[in-house]
This record gives sequence, C-alpha cells and structure tokens, in this order.
Amino acid sequence: MKLDLIKGSRRRRARTAAGALTAVACLGGAACGIRPATADRAPGTLVIDTANYPSTLDPGKQYDADTYAVYRNIFDQLLRRDPRTQALKPWIATSWKQTDATTWRFAIRPGVRFSDGSPLTAEDAAFSVNRILDKRFASQQFANFSMISKATTDGADLVVHTAQPAPTLLTYLTTLSVVPERYVRRVGDERFAAEPIGSGPYVFASATAGSQVTVKANPLWWGPRPSVRGAVFRAVPNVASRVVDLQSRKADLATTLTPDAADQIKRDPRLAVLSTPTERVAYLAFNTIKGGPATDPRVRRAIAAAIDYAALIRNLQRGYAKPVNSLLTPLAFGYDKALPDARYDPATARRLIAEAGARGKTVVMDTSPSFNPQIVQAIQADLAAVGLTVDIRSTDQPTYLKKVQDPGHNWGSLRFGRWSCSCLDADGVIYPLFHTGGIWSSYTDPAFDRLVEQGRRVIDPERRAALYDQAFRVLARDLPGLGLFQDYAIYGANSRVRWTPDAQESFYLDTMEVRRR
Amino acid sequence: MTAVLPRRRLAALPATPRYLAGRIGQSLLALFGVVTIVFFALRLSGDPARLLVPEGATAADIARVRARLGLDDSLWHQYTTFLGHAVRGDLGYSYVQNRPATDLLAERLPYTANLAVAALVLSLLFGVTAGAITALRRGRWQERVLMPIVLAGQAMPAFWTGLLLVLLFSVGLRWLPSTGYDGPLSLLLPSVTLASLSAAAIARVTRGAMLEQLSQDYVRTARAKGAGTWRLVTRHLARNTAIPVLTVAALELANLLGGAVVTEVIFAWPGLGQLTVQSVAARDFPVVQAIVLLASAVYVVVNLATDLLYGVIDPRVSSGGDHP
Repeated sequence: MKLDLIKGSRRRRARTAAGALTAVACLGGAACGIRPATADRAPGTLVIDTANYPSTLDPGKQYDADTYAVYRNIFDQLLRRDPRTQALKPWIATSWKQTDATTWRFAIRPGVRFSDGSPLTAEDAAFSVNRILDKRFASQQFANFSMISKATTDGADLVVHTAQPAPTLLTYLTTLSVVPERYVRRVGDERFAAEPIGSGPYVFASATAGSQVTVKANPLWWGPRPSVRGAVFRAVPNVASRVVDLQSRKADLATTLTPDAADQIKRDPRLAVLSTPTERVAYLAFNTIKGGPATDPRVRRAIAAAIDYAALIRNLQRGYAKPVNSLLTPLAFGYDKALPDARYDPATARRLIAEAGARGKTVVMDTSPSFNPQIVQAIQADLAAVGLTVDIRSTDQPTYLKKVQDPGHNWGSLRFGRWSCSCLDADGVIYPLFHTGGIWSSYTDPAFDRLVEQGRRVIDPERRAALYDQAFRVLARDLPGLGLFQDYAIYGANSRVRWTPDAQESFYLDTMEVRRR
Repeated sequence: MTAVLPRRRLAALPATPRYLAGRIGQSLLALFGVVTIVFFALRLSGDPARLLVPEGATAADIARVRARLGLDDSLWHQYTTFLGHAVRGDLGYSYVQNRPATDLLAERLPYTANLAVAALVLSLLFGVTAGAITALRRGRWQERVLMPIVLAGQAMPAFWTGLLLVLLFSVGLRWLPSTGYDGPLSLLLPSVTLASLSAAAIARVTRGAMLEQLSQDYVRTARAKGAGTWRLVTRHLARNTAIPVLTVAALELANLLGGAVVTEVIFAWPGLGQLTVQSVAARDFPVVQAIVLLASAVYVVVNLATDLLYGVIDPRVSSGGDHP
C-alpha cells in the first residue's frame, strides 16, 4: 500500500512535470500554434504601423483609410491625382473624354499586366465598376459610384454611362481599383479577398489575420521601379503603442497620430513628424429644426462668434490645423475664397444671445468618444463664456448616429464632427450635410436644395463654381453648420523614410523613398 | 483570513455520470441563455448598417445594406434563423469582413490561448510563491516587502503597466519587441502585464489558505516530528491549500481566455480581445455573438474541469463524503 502511494505520487509528479514543461515551452520556446510573423527588414523594406487591420483586401468592398492604405498599393486605380496640385492625372486610363452628356470614354493603358501575368484590359476595368454596382455584391462603396448606370467596353476603351450628367464622376474614379475579372470569377470573392491579385506596384505576399499584411514590389509593374521594395503593414490600435514602436525602431513609419503623439515624436532626434493639411474639416452642425435655442439663427451666429478658433488650433491641435472660412478646404472644388474667415468675437456673441433672449439657456451637444472630447469641452467653455450653458451628451458611435440621423430630428442642438468625402468637391460635403432629407441634415432651404441639386448635374466647371458660390452664401446666411479648422494628417517616421504625404491621405508606397544603410 | 472555498458545492459533488450529465445540461442551458440575451441586447444597441456606409450615403443606401444583412426581418425571424444555423455550427458571416465568424475566431484563438496560458503560469509562479512566503513569514520583512509589490501589481491598470514595461524593455533597453508577435520573446511583456493583475488574487488566496492551515493540528504535529519548512510546504500544506488556489486560478484562466482586451490593444496582440473591441464598436453582430458564445463556453468548461480536478486533489471531495 505504501508502495502504491509512492508509485502514484511518482506518476503524478511525472504528469505535473510534463504539464509544467509544456507550459514553460509555450512561454519561453516556440509559442504553441502561432506563427511568428517574421517582419523581415530586408533593405528597402518598411515596417508601417497603422491603427486598424484592413477590413478586407478586396478593393471593391470596403472603403476606410487603413484598408485602402494597403490595397491601393496592390491595385492600380483608374486615375490618380497629382500629390502637389491635386490635378487628375492618367494612371490606368491614359486619356479620357466625355462623348455626350452622360457618357465618358477612357483609353486603357496598353501593356499592363496583373501580377499573375494576365493582361489588364478594358473588360477588367468595366468589371471592376459593375461589380460595385451589383446589388448582390453589396459593396460598401456603392454610394460613391451610384451616379453610374453601367460600364461597358468599346474596343480597348472603357465606356462609363451615368444616369445623369455627373461632374464628380472623375474624382470618384480616382478611388476605383482595377481587379482581374477572370481571376475573381474563377476563385470567387472570398478567396480573392484572401489572396488578392492586382496590377499595382506591389504584390500581396502574406497576411496574419488581425495583425499584419506583407507586400513586395511587383516585378511586372509598368511604372518606374519604386525605392520601397516591400512593406509590412502592422495593425497597432493604440496610439501610444505606435509611438513606442517608432521609438524602439520596431516600426519605420506610423500613421494616424494625434497632435500629442507628434509632440512626443519631435523630442526624439532620430524621428520626424510628417504632416500635411487634408481635405478633412472639423465642423459643428446645428439642429435648425428641433434644436431648442439653436433653431434661432442669431444663436447659431452667436456660437460661431463665441468660439476661439485660434486657441483650438494652437492648444488642442498644436498647430496641426488651419483656419477655414466654411466647411470646405481650399483644396476642394467649389471653395470660395471670398468668404470671410470665421472670427472670434465674444462681444458680438454676447449681444446676439441677448437679442435672441437665449442668455442662460441650455444647448445640448451630442457627441461620441470618436470625437476628441477636449475639443468638445473647449467649445463648451467658449459658449459658457458668452452665456450659453452646454449640456454634453456623449454616447457610443452607433447610438450617436442613430440619434443625430433620426429623420424626425429629435436630437440635441449641435454636434461636433470631422468630414472628408475623399473627393475634393463641394458636392461631397454640403450636399450630404445640408440637403433636405439627407441623413446628416437637420436643415431645410428650398433655394439651397435647388443649387446643390443643379451642382450635381452641371458639367461646366465655371457654371458649377457659380452655383456653389451661391450655395455657400445661403449657408453663410443661415449657418446650419460651421467649419472649425482644416485637419492635418500626422505621420511619424524614422530617418530611413523619405516621403511627402499628400492631402488625399493616399499612402502610395511607390511615392516613398527608403534610405539604405 | 479564510479561503474562498465553495464548500456547499464541494459537498454535493459525487462525480457520477448522472452528476456530469446534469452539469452539462445546466451548462448548455446557461450558454443558450447568454446567447439569447446578447442576441437581443445587441439589436437594441445600434444599427451596423449606418457604420458600414460611406459618409455621404443616403437613407436609401443604409436601407439597402440593412436589407442585405437581413436586419429588416422581424426580430423573431432573425432569432430563429440564427438559432437554426447555430446548432449546425454556422454562426454567420462578419458584416465587416464578409467571412464566417467562426473562421475569424479560429484565427484569433491561438494568440489569446498562448497569452492566457503564459500569463497564468507566470501568475501562479509568482502568486503562489509570494502567498506562501508572506504566510510563512508573517509579520517579518519578507511580508512587508512582498505585499506592497503584489498590491501595486493589482492596483496599476494594464494600460499603465504595459506601457511602462515597453518603455523600459523596448524603448530604453531594446531587449524585447514592443508590440505584435515576432517570436516567443514577444509573449513576455504582454504576459507579465496580464500576470501582474492575476498574481495578486492568487497570492492573497494562497496566503489566506496557508494561514488557515498553519493553525491546524497536523502542522503542529509535523513540526514536532522535525519537518523542515520546505518539507512542510511540499508534503503537507501544498495539497491542503491547492483547492482555493485552483478555484481562483481557474476563474482567472476563464477570464484570460475570453480575451484580455486592454492588454491586447496595447501590445497589438491579434487575439480575441482586440476582435471583441472592434466587433462591438462596428456592431458586427455575428462576430460578437460568436465571441460571447465561445467565452461563455470556455467559462463553463473551465469551471466543470475545475470541479472534477477537486476530486483528484482531494479524494474526500469525489467520495461524496460529508467531510469538509
């Protein structure tokens, strides 16, 4: 019996030891079941920290900054913009012309091949458009291309038909990636998203879901040989972690940094902040229909005069912002430089509030944690200083959207947001924000509606610009919203990287240079 | 200082097949309940379609997305469809990634499991050692040094501990990678961060259980027979203090396997915790439902396994006797 006990305890001890060994092996040795995603830092390879893992690598599906930062390097777009002048320039389409009010013809660059060697044709380009329009495909980009009725081919040309004359067609076609029709049809959408093949400057090499995507230079690419030979896009959601990755040389380049993070990076002599003004505008929008005190235009004008714009830019944006005169940046079509800049004038604000009988009244500001709470609080303090009480109601993003997009306009008095249509056009900003019945609009004015509806259908740039001038005059009078500042894109990089980011936040690797050591 | 020992449950624990079947039945019922609550709560919490469309979308665009996701069907229809698919192992497609939710989970689970096991091993090593030392050296300098360390580990939130560790070991010393998974060394900082939280609980329970045992007669007898401290701990005290420690460790493991949200975000660790945050933020219903189902299943299984382990450690438990 005693022997049994000893044996038993020995067996148990052996088992315990085995268990402990496995645990230690997991801890110190090769971790169980997970592959080390070797961030090979070959010469010419950049390691890039982004905030999110791309939601897909199928360029027909999703449309968000961290997703297209990756896939736009694997695919070629129909058109690009010049990074300095923002002018449209040929890319896969070498030339284009409008053949009648609703038809556009694009000559497709000859000799372009996808990375599997198959040629890129007008059929592929037409397929890429029609795929997004297909209701069953359910692209999240549908809204950007909904002006197109169909795409066809004529010889080597792509022909795009729009339902109505569409002045913003070309700007949205800069976001159209051309996918290989035959490959997509053969492997299906799901596998295409997992193993994408494009014609772009880089080819997809590997991915660890939720963690990183590796791309390598495409030897078959038609353009000049890029300096960056490969890149690892890592998803690092925490901004402070992206900064320490730069500081510890884990990453060469980090995107989506905050002004505070930029200050931290500046303190490291071997790191640099790369930044550029974007077409994104921080703005306030008012509930002019059921917004309590804010339904009175005098109160809205008072709020516009009560905000210390320079202080927001200096203290909270730390200089990473520019003043604006409307909700549009000078980069966008339809910008009216004749409008006066927003001005801080607390005396006028106080007078207007007294006139409107709103002194001491409460305005409700709806917001969500996605919007910088410091800015929301600074605005609260500015408005308090001129006699308005601000009740901040912060809810999570889906609840916030449900509230402010309520067709009955049953939300607060004002909200803070940031807007970018990635289209550099007034139509993509003031139409969705203020056209009657739009999901974001709590404003209605028949004259404004007519102007922006016409702006969607007139091709002639001069006539269009005149329409938007008038539309902005209506907005300046009624003030259903106001621009706070033009936002910057902020990146951090070490000395290996040479790159001038562009206003579109396109993040093309082929425009970067990597210094070899 | 009494151990957290669920005595009532232990007393009623004959490991018979009938008992097991009952426990499994209860577990399935619990899973069903949790999934049902989450299913309806999610659908009250916001509209994923609004988050999926581009900024300039119209109400019609949103309606189209909602129809495609099946969110305009009646709640009851959605629920029965979900249950029908779920029993066949189909938990639906991610709204955001257009891939089966189960695939997403399968990719993330190994990362979370590795982190959880590593953190548990570290916290057991540190927690049990610290707990034993502070019990045996009660009132002496060892206790006065160790207890504040244990408490500090528990008091400091993970986002703070994690960043401090990274600043020291990655930015300052350049010994360890700051984020992501690049080989086994990457596991160290996140698991220490996590362990600093659970080690404290284990240390306190170990200390409490040990102090309780130290006042027992058998300890005095063993001491009288001349047993040294090491022998006393390994031969006599270890088994008697194991049950409460195991209970706490099992709870910690179940929590860790559900995904360490903050730690995974800080260290860009591609586990379930990050997936949870992203899926909840995007109202990616199928993925959230799948995560909740998995996390509760883990909880249930770990608890069941722990109860069965009690019997292995303390045969009195499985014999169904009245002994405490």
